[in-house]
Amino acid sequence: MDELTREFLIESQEGLDRMERCLTDLEGRPQDTDLLGEIFRSVHTIKGTTGFLGFKRLEKLAHAGENLLGLLRDGKLSANQSIITGLLQLMDGLRGILRTIETDSNEGHGEDGQLIGLLNELQIVEHSAVSVEVKAVKASGQAGALPLPTKPSAPPPQAIVEPVPPASPIDAKSNVEPAGDAGKPRPANAAADSTLRVDVMLLNRMMNLVGELVLTRNQILQATSQDPNLTLLSRRLDMVTADLRESVMKARMQPVSNVFSKFPRIIRDLSHTLHRKVRLELDGQETELDKSLLEAIKDPLTHAVRNSLDHGIEPPEVRIAAGKDPEGVLKLRAYQESSHVIIEVSDDGAGIAVEKVRNKAIERGLISAERAAQLVERELLQLIFLPGFSTAEAITNVSGRGVGMDVVRTNVEKIGGKVEIDSRPGRGTTLRLRIPLTLAIIPALIVRSLDQSFALPQGALSELVHVPPAKVASTIEWMEGTALYRLRGQLLPLIFLDRMLSPGLRGAENRERAEQDNFIAVLDADGRRFGLVVDGLADPEEIVVKPLSAVLKSIGLYSGATVLGSGDLALILDPGSIASRAGVAMISQEDRVEVVQEEDSQAAMGSQYLLVQSAERRAAVPLGDVLRIERIPLSRIEYIGYRPVLNFEGNLLPVEDSGGVLAAAGGNPDALLTVVVCREGNRQVGIAVVHVLDVAAGSELFEAGTQQRAGGVTLLNQQVTGIVDLGAVAPLLAGAMPDSYSTADWNQPTEILA
Amino acid sequence: MSGHTEPHEPKNPPGVPARAKSRSGQKEAGASALAELCSVRVGQTLFGIPISHILEIVGGAHPQAVPLAPEFVGGLVHYRGDVLTTVSLRHLLGLPPHDGKQDILVLESAGGCFGLLVDSVGEVLRVPTSDHEPNPSILDERRRALFAGAFKLKDSLLVMLDPERLDPLRLAGMAA
Repeated sequence: MDELTREFLIESQEGLDRMERCLTDLEGRPQDTDLLGEIFRSVHTIKGTTGFLGFKRLEKLAHAGENLLGLLRDGKLSANQSIITGLLQLMDGLRGILRTIETDSNEGHGEDGQLIGLLNELQIVEHSAVSVEVKAVKASGQAGALPLPTKPSAPPPQAIVEPVPPASPIDAKSNVEPAGDAGKPRPANAAADSTLRVDVMLLNRMMNLVGELVLTRNQILQATSQDPNLTLLSRRLDMVTADLRESVMKARMQPVSNVFSKFPRIIRDLSHTLHRKVRLELDGQETELDKSLLEAIKDPLTHAVRNSLDHGIEPPEVRIAAGKDPEGVLKLRAYQESSHVIIEVSDDGAGIAVEKVRNKAIERGLISAERAAQLVERELLQLIFLPGFSTAEAITNVSGRGVGMDVVRTNVEKIGGKVEIDSRPGRGTTLRLRIPLTLAIIPALIVRSLDQSFALPQGALSELVHVPPAKVASTIEWMEGTALYRLRGQLLPLIFLDRMLSPGLRGAENRERAEQDNFIAVLDADGRRFGLVVDGLADPEEIVVKPLSAVLKSIGLYSGATVLGSGDLALILDPGSIASRAGVAMISQEDRVEVVQEEDSQAAMGSQYLLVQSAERRAAVPLGDVLRIERIPLSRIEYIGYRPVLNFEGNLLPVEDSGGVLAAAGGNPDALLTVVVCREGNRQVGIAVVHVLDVAAGSELFEAGTQQRAGGVTLLNQQVTGIVDLGAVAPLLAGAMPDSYSTADWNQPTEILA
Repeated sequence: MSGHTEPHEPKNPPGVPARAKSRSGQKEAGASALAELCSVRVGQTLFGIPISHILEIVGGAHPQAVPLAPEFVGGLVHYRGDVLTTVSLRHLLGLPPHDGKQDILVLESAGGCFGLLVDSVGEVLRVPTSDHEPNPSILDERRRALFAGAFKLKDSLLVMLDPERLDPLRLAGMAA
């Protein structure tokens, strides 16, 4: 049996074990989409991998199961007893075939027609009538009448022929193990024979103990530094400990070639199935990565590669027509970049058509049409990471169910990594996985707040800013209770660590701030940039990450704890959670999309604004909305009720004057004022201003979700400027009503009267 | 916590004596079965914890506070290479926080290990299980959820604590 098959067997077993656990839980919580998602992924992965290994029978069965699970996951079906029974049988069926593969190296010739039939039937059952379901439930209650493949239909050992316990799903589950043992003599761990699979938990434990040893050593070194008799001994202890630590770390490191090496075959088979011509280029195979991380990126990488072949690289004829080499190139590249390993999957294929992404996302209800219209190209690309997204026209065996990129992102983020995507239409797509080197020991900056030490992972830290007491007032700007810092011309939202950790602290802190040193740690977490304000900085340290108990983990702000060299404990802050916690007020329904948007604040830069001067304030109007700028005498302004209007080329424009320009003109009919005529949806509105100052590129401030009105402000000529909300100008229909006067505001919360 | 006075702990219905007996059951050879308890003091009260649940006693610890943690969490302590979450018995009993060092009992429960912060640890007692009485019915609900009855000592009462009921996860669930 080759390496690939062996790996596949082990992985599939693990997947099925997971599925089994989830299925049991599903009985109690049939609506739990996380569980359903997990089960779906297990089966999906088996189906996916089995495709290239050429196990047709297994693939067919898994495919049938996946169809059913897809409906469940999308909420089109709800899991009832008979479905769970069916799924457990699917699991047994898959197990049976896997066992046959393990013993005979082929999948046998069992007949799965009945089970597949059942799985197909279960998909319809719910749609048509409840009565069928009742029948199914009843049937599963009695042994004889079971319309399921419970009887061995063909001799091949154990393939599906495990008598499926006809009783309740729980029994079915509990009988799985004995059923497996019945297949004895079982080839003693045929698959796991040659390799020793060490439990990652054990490695973690070793790492923990080493960390502990390091700590004890530090303390011994301190305690013995005065005693010449012990110096030699303690120095020796020091060396041995350092050596041991390195060895344990090394034991966990493996070259990425362990993962890369399975791709040549996958690509060969896949390109055959998909009729593509693909050349695989591997680079940086010797790059080493922590074992557990390596395991964790296997799935995402497989999905990414599969996506590249299915959606990226075009069929040869299309490539020739486009003037490209008929043979596409898929590059897998790994390299180390400071404390991260970057793994790139790039192809020279068609790239991602952003319009298609937009339409699909709307069609699948992942995002509203209005929202989608606002997103720029890079933000649209991020949509492909949403669960359930797929642009594939048809669901194929290779991909198109919309799990691929979701799996990639979920798995990579689970291990503290990041996924970046870059695509050029016609030129290809690059997916970049940024993986931390190791999870057990990370470099961190120790910061002080609330008279306590906290560890801030260096990975997220981009720079530090010291704000001396004298400068606090001038450099930290406030906008409606939100603090901002101007970092090289860009507004950086600030989060005060002490305030966040101690909600009772709100009032008094501003004055205090001005009297002490402030340090801003500029963090970049999941693409959101913000400044974390702390009271003090201590040394950077290599910290050993210790897990927190469930109760403390559920606070959500800490990713662990660590013991500092001084012997003190410090909580490890999770920058990503801090960012999203601070933005909780704003991020509600379209949570993920919001995140996407914020990730790309850089890309959103450069929108043009018309800078206008109203009576007292400056304000910005999006240049794209401006139709004309009219200089008119005050006498041209007429009133309907209390609302000023302008007869402009035969149309009546509501004139927005919350800046108080009309009042400032003091009723002098000859006073000149400027009206900026803007387009707002299908109508036009006028904005009364004193004069137009400038046209400038505003830096849009999607400010990491700290405050609600982040979108209503921009940075123009180095000044924070409110953007006039054109949509908030009340339509004239309601205009005769006095209380609707001046509802549009300069960047204030507005109420629109319909 | 609900208005229910009865089953807070699905696994151990409030038939407290039954549980206490079964715990000390290892020694239950005859009528003179003895329960082995470690006595601790919090405030004015003497509490007892079955020693079979105690992994270790750590003296004079200074737990590190965890901002935003549930109030009953007494902080973190470093324990054998791991970071241990502690539960403040004082807080659970509604007593003011203790200034100065406290002792920690490292307890094992179904959910894993945790530390119990107490004012001081006393001694190991052997008490006949027949001296155990269930929680009195007039005990307030909050305490009833924490206590597992009491042993009648010669000159005082020893209030039994059930480590399972002090597990931080369970307390968090109760608080919710």
